Amino acid sequence: MADYIAEDNKLTLKVVFYGPALSGKTTNLMQLHTLLNPERKGELMVLETRDDRTLFFDMLPIGLRSGSGLDLRLKLYTVPGQVQHDSTRKAVLSRADGVVFVADSQPSQQDNNANAFGNLEENLEKVGLDIDSLPMAVQFNKRDIPGVVEEPVLQKRWAATPWAPLVMASALQGQGVLETFQVLLDRLYTAVDQEFDLAGTHSIDRDTFIQRLSASHGLHHA
Amino acid sequence: MRNFEDDPSLQDLLTDDQLQRLTAGLSALCREPVRIGTDRSDHAVPVEFNLETVGWLSGGGSDDERRAAASLVSFLMMFVAKYRLAANLHHDTTEASYAELQRQNEALRASEARYRELSDQLQEKVDEQVALIKGVQQDLYESAKLRSVGQLAAGVAHEINNPIGFINSNLGVASDYVDELQDLLPDTESNRELLADFRDLITESIDGTRRIARIVADLKTFSSIDQADYTLCDVNDLLRSAAHLLQTNYGHQLEIMEQLAEIPAIPGHPAKLSQTFYNVLDNAAQALRDGDREQADQRIQIKTASNGEEVLIVIQDNGCGIPDDIRSQVFDAFFTTRPVGSGTGLGLTVARDTLHAHRGSIAIDSHEGSGTRITLTLPAH
Ligand SMILES: Nc1nc2c(ncn2[C@@H]2O[C@H](COP(=O)(O)OP(=O)(O)OP(=O)(O)O)[C@@H](O)[C@H]2O)c(=O)[nH]1
Ligand SMILES: [Mg+2]
Repeated sequence: MADYIAEDNKLTLKVVFYGPALSGKTTNLMQLHTLLNPERKGELMVLETRDDRTLFFDMLPIGLRSGSGLDLRLKLYTVPGQVQHDSTRKAVLSRADGVVFVADSQPSQQDNNANAFGNLEENLEKVGLDIDSLPMAVQFNKRDIPGVVEEPVLQKRWAATPWAPLVMASALQGQGVLETFQVLLDRLYTAVDQEFDLAGTHSIDRDTFIQRLSASHGLHHA
Repeated sequence: MRNFEDDPSLQDLLTDDQLQRLTAGLSALCREPVRIGTDRSDHAVPVEFNLETVGWLSGGGSDDERRAAASLVSFLMMFVAKYRLAANLHHDTTEASYAELQRQNEALRASEARYRELSDQLQEKVDEQVALIKGVQQDLYESAKLRSVGQLAAGVAHEINNPIGFINSNLGVASDYVDELQDLLPDTESNRELLADFRDLITESIDGTRRIARIVADLKTFSSIDQADYTLCDVNDLLRSAAHLLQTNYGHQLEIMEQLAEIPAIPGHPAKLSQTFYNVLDNAAQALRDGDREQADQRIQIKTASNGEEVLIVIQDNGCGIPDDIRSQVFDAFFTTRPVGSGTGLGLTVARDTLHAHRGSIAIDSHEGSGTRITLTLPAH
């Protein structure tokens, strides 16, 4: 949606965590809530769930204020992965500025990954977004589970896509979550800078954008 | 239009009543009354929700009290907002689903209409094909019939020509014998009557054999058994044979006037042309029968003419004519106005097809009640 309100000098960006049911989208967001220590961080809003499964969406707002006074907000959403919640998925996806696709690494889930990715393509088209130009990061989650599909196999499978290389993660253990988010921020910066001249007008360069939005507790003083 | 995700304002989250109750409760907890509004006044602390300052809290006994109260409000706000967000999202998706449903419904209706149209067209196409198949079948049937009629005629002609030959010559000899008998028999009244009767019998028989011979000749011409499939045809000859056969068929009660001009022989399929002429003549004869005219006034006219390029054949009757409303149908296969069983309804269809095959044309000029003129045009070369 890249909503810029000139009178408040406020830019709001929307990032959506997409993927099949139970792949760990909510877990990713909860970990980000724990790990991230940006200048500004709102409450993690976990809307209705049933048996731990998202019924509406989760949302975490983070933000920073640039030297030039730009009030930059990032709203991170998850969609419900279950097939039947497609209209909710579409509503949450609409006006997204970036997508993190969370896939499940277990061999039994590869079909679900493919279906969910197809569904993402479909819904992007329905809400008027172009998958080829939309900033996106692809994460293969649950690497801690034994017997997951080997990383080289996955990397090779995705090598020819604009989303290579994939990020391997274990959201449950907090691994790969920040890395995924940073890959997304990197790609998001390119798109947003093009439209809003972040570097020129707002003196936010790529590094600042990535580092300050993904600052974690450990790295805070680095 | 506001989206479900737009940052809510204080008014979006709480009604005035709710806000009053909230401030009353907080005021009771603090040492001084508390106020929450959208204006920032002195010592006011922000009420934040999702990084957004949704209002300012002032009053209270101290800064600590104000901060504690503001954070309590933020805490409450989160639950209100969650509910509001979920409700808004639900509203958005319901509307989108409904719109989608309507779109699908529309699309369904459109596709149903398309299928209906398609199925209608399908019926048309099937009808067309059926007609085509019927036509081809009929053509096959007609040509098979033509061939078997031709073969039959050839057989009949061959078988009949011989006996007719000797009957004829025998009758001639018999006639001589009658002359001789006259000289031998006594010249009495009864003998003279007997011989006169005898002569009449022989004359009638000779006349009869001549007629048989002519019918056989006409049949041969008509079925063109002696001819190759495609050859130079003498249209006048073919017309004459067809007319004679028709008269034989109608017990010689038809008045057929022939005005046959000198015309060039044309290349064509004699048997099919004969069939065509016969069909047209037969239609004329039936039109006479169906008309209101006295027998004595009924007339069929056959005219031929040529301008060197084309041969024109006009067959005209003063019979019942063809009503305007069915004139366009007369070439349709199996179209007939006559009672079931009296014809296939193919006469004019076959005529037109034959004319087309000869690169010719057929034109109808008809007035109900006064007659019909059929003009056949055939190229001379
Ligand atoms: N072993 C393992 N389990 C994980 C990992 N990430 C998530 N899970 C578990 O997978 C289950 C589903 O995780 P969620 O984050 O709720 O999945 P989701 O993608 O939000 O699911 P939906 O809301 O239904 O779309 C939970 O039981 C998580 O604990 C991981 O990295 N490793
Ligand atoms: Mg979830």
